Amino acid sequence: MKRLQILIGKIIVKMLHLMKRNAGNLPGIVLWHISRHKAVSMFKVDCPIIAVTGTNGKTSVTNCIAQLFERSGKKIITNREGNNLDTGICSLLLRHCDMKGRVKADYLILETDESHVPVVYSQLKLETLIVLDFFRDQLDRNGEMETLIQKINGFCKTFNGNLLLNGDDPNTARLGRANPDNKNVKYFHAEPYDFATKTVFEASEGRFCPFCGETLEYDYYQYSHIGKFHCPKCGFGNYKPYITASDIDLDKPVFTADGHTYSPKLNSIYNVYNMTAVAGAAKIYNIRQDIVDSVISSYTVKNGRMESFMLGDRKTTLNLAKNPVGANMTLRVMNEMKGEKELLFVLNDNVADGLDVSWIWDINFSIFERVTRVVTSGTRAYDIAVRIKCSGYDQANIVVRPDLDKAVDELAKTPGRKFVIANYTAVQPTRAALKHYISRNGGKTE
Amino acid sequence: MSTIKILHMYADMLDLYGDSGNMEVFSYRCKMRGIECIIDKYSIDSPMPDFSAYDLIYIGGGADLEQQHISADLLKCKEGIAKAYKGGTFLFLICGGYQLMGKYYRDADGNDIPGLGLFDYYTVAPNSRRKRCIGNIVIKTDITGSPVNVVGFENHGGQTQGVKNPFGKVLYGNGNCSKSENEGYCEKNVIATYLHGPCLSKNPEITDYMIEYCLSRNSGEKVTLTPLDDKLEKECRTVMLQRLLKK
Repeated sequence: MKRLQILIGKIIVKMLHLMKRNAGNLPGIVLWHISRHKAVSMFKVDCPIIAVTGTNGKTSVTNCIAQLFERSGKKIITNREGNNLDTGICSLLLRHCDMKGRVKADYLILETDESHVPVVYSQLKLETLIVLDFFRDQLDRNGEMETLIQKINGFCKTFNGNLLLNGDDPNTARLGRANPDNKNVKYFHAEPYDFATKTVFEASEGRFCPFCGETLEYDYYQYSHIGKFHCPKCGFGNYKPYITASDIDLDKPVFTADGHTYSPKLNSIYNVYNMTAVAGAAKIYNIRQDIVDSVISSYTVKNGRMESFMLGDRKTTLNLAKNPVGANMTLRVMNEMKGEKELLFVLNDNVADGLDVSWIWDINFSIFERVTRVVTSGTRAYDIAVRIKCSGYDQANIVVRPDLDKAVDELAKTPGRKFVIANYTAVQPTRAALKHYISRNGGKTE
Repeated sequence: MSTIKILHMYADMLDLYGDSGNMEVFSYRCKMRGIECIIDKYSIDSPMPDFSAYDLIYIGGGADLEQQHISADLLKCKEGIAKAYKGGTFLFLICGGYQLMGKYYRDADGNDIPGLGLFDYYTVAPNSRRKRCIGNIVIKTDITGSPVNVVGFENHGGQTQGVKNPFGKVLYGNGNCSKSENEGYCEKNVIATYLHGPCLSKNPEITDYMIEYCLSRNSGEKVTLTPLDDKLEKECRTVMLQRLLKK
């Protein structure tokens, strides 16, 4: 039966390739149905599996870990395109298995959607699970965040492999207590950076100790609810970090971890957290130091994550923001930059975005500095316009252009520095519109 | 300059789906008209406030866990809130705030969280956490004296029953129960609703109704507000109405 399923899957992959279509998800969906919802159970994987999950940073961390092993000369299989549900992982394995369902590689490195961790790894044996963070993200798709954490916590109760957790996120660190017998729980941690605050700056969750209900105390907040916390009553949060980022200087940018100084390309605090997780994974697997250096210092992102464009001679930075935390970080980067600038905000409410757009009200727009004009676009262009207006920004300086090409034209009309924020399904269309503008009017992509 | 005093309760815990944005919209619309808007916050273990000193009391929504956290504290405020409400203080209640003013909230495990019992309705959560009323919603309300289509976003498990005077008729979405005709609860000085979004962001008439109510009550005569330029808000609502109500 399993062989038949694999045969069917392989035929679909082949057909899609012949039709020059991307086989990222569809074969998995078909197998999900014919295997009675156990889409990855027919594969035989003997090599170690490393999974990366969390709300923000999965793609970056997965790609970096994949590079650690690749540059060490290992054969790896990874879902670079970010197809991270069970069906996406099934499609990936279908492309790499033989007719008996055997997957041959040295390591599988899999970005895995938060809600799919228990589903996938009840069927495949996991060696290492890396959990980056939990933020409000697409709440209406996943149900409330607590339900999501409970799901992963349930999985961790019987998990004995390496569990590398963000020790500065109470929502994540609590998973370390799920299985008291697991001796392989490890935490990564970061010392305060220059913009760390004593009080919470943005909308946050996880204010209470999940074990005793006491209000958590923070030595400092890095951003949102991420920071050095502990419970004054039961001691939750008092752990010894496995790896710590310190001497963080985002101007250069540099940071030190385990006595070694890294110079990443991206200058955000959340990149420091991601790279600390990568360094932690490298430590678990004894990756050579020069390889870790080269991966962390060369890693940069496309796909709308702090991606640069020149619209004619106007320097433009595009960043994806799936949730308030991402958007607030972009606004901070924008504010910390000198001179006047203009912002284009593209907001969609497609199914993959979560149909609800109220998260934009958790973005702190009142910090706007030297923002001379705002253009809004996307299927909810007016919602974001109203939100920015009610933060006290003069509506005379807000232009609504639901059509993306028109919005980019509007943005590029005036000289000066430009920023673009786009949510999940808006990123690719926004990149396309920026490129379209460049093809008509000159400029360049990164 | 006239002043409106608001007590925003449990802002640090009951703030799902941008509910705190309602206070931003409210104070924005006051500020544009030169009305002073003072928003005090109350949370667990704050000193007991004089509820009747406020023109409006606002409570947002939260997850089950947060609602359990605050329910005992809220009961301590019962007398004060009831007195303020009877004295004419406006109650603006979203989702969890709405539910907790009723008789009780029975959660998915069958545990009853007692409400303040200000109103006769009660709420029962379905046994399965998956059965939720989630999505865009449009209701028609007459609270302002002329019909207004209000657009928002609902996400609630709880099914609220025994509502005598609903806030509006459901034109799209679920309302008080799955696929129900009515949404929320209202009196002249109460708006209780499941609408997030935040509720006031696209519905300026509702905000202005509450501002007018507060000012009229303070001055003893009917106050009419100067209109604002609501081009963006109205266009925002029109886009959603066209999308949701087209057959």
